[in-house]
Amino acid sequence: MFTAAAVGLVVAMALALARALMGPTLYDRILSVNTFGTKTVLILAVVGFLFGRPEFLDIALAYALINFIGTIAVLKFFKYGDLGGTGS
Amino acid sequence: MSDLLVLRIVTKILMPFILLFALYVQFHGDYGPGGGFQAGVIFGAGFILYGLVYGLDALRGVLSSDILRAGFALGLLIFAGVGVAGLLLGGNYLDYNVLASDPVKGQHLGILLIEFGVGLTVASVMISIFYYFAGRGR
Repeated sequence: MFTAAAVGLVVAMALALARALMGPTLYDRILSVNTFGTKTVLILAVVGFLFGRPEFLDIALAYALINFIGTIAVLKFFKYGDLGGTGS
Repeated sequence: MSDLLVLRIVTKILMPFILLFALYVQFHGDYGPGGGFQAGVIFGAGFILYGLVYGLDALRGVLSSDILRAGFALGLLIFAGVGVAGLLLGGNYLDYNVLASDPVKGQHLGILLIEFGVGLTVASVMISIFYYFAGRGR
């Protein structure tokens, strides 16, 4: 069952990647990269249980945090063109 | 970003957990995935998130560049100091066995101190890199 879930997640990641490559606007690309990151978190968790190493969940947690911060950084940079301002 | 209330509140709620998770990765690194470098990056990422949402000046108010400079020097000093302590206690450089009365305890203590030094340096350097990137042209 974990194998089926992993295969499904890989298909979903391929679709997200296709959207990131084709995406007509910038926000499509950002959204698809964010989705790709979320799917990476899920696949880390699933693969951890698939190979009997549930401590992969730690890595998944770390990835979720970094993914969130990365998305905010990219969005802020494209909206304000500056990472350090308060953006008012 | 002062109009993005959700982002500001979520950042405030999330930041202590990011720092706590970094400490978990740091001190649980002997038994699970993790270690000083990863913990330092996660710790730095917590502060970088704060800096992104509240602005660079707010972050500089929390952690000034002087504190960061002291942080990465101190981390390196801890790393090298543990190595030299091994030398002074009669072993090789970075030989943990001689740090305590019993080699197993010595290994535990040694790796804990080394990883702490690495974590401190990496966290400080990550936040400094963010300062240099975000502070361009101001």
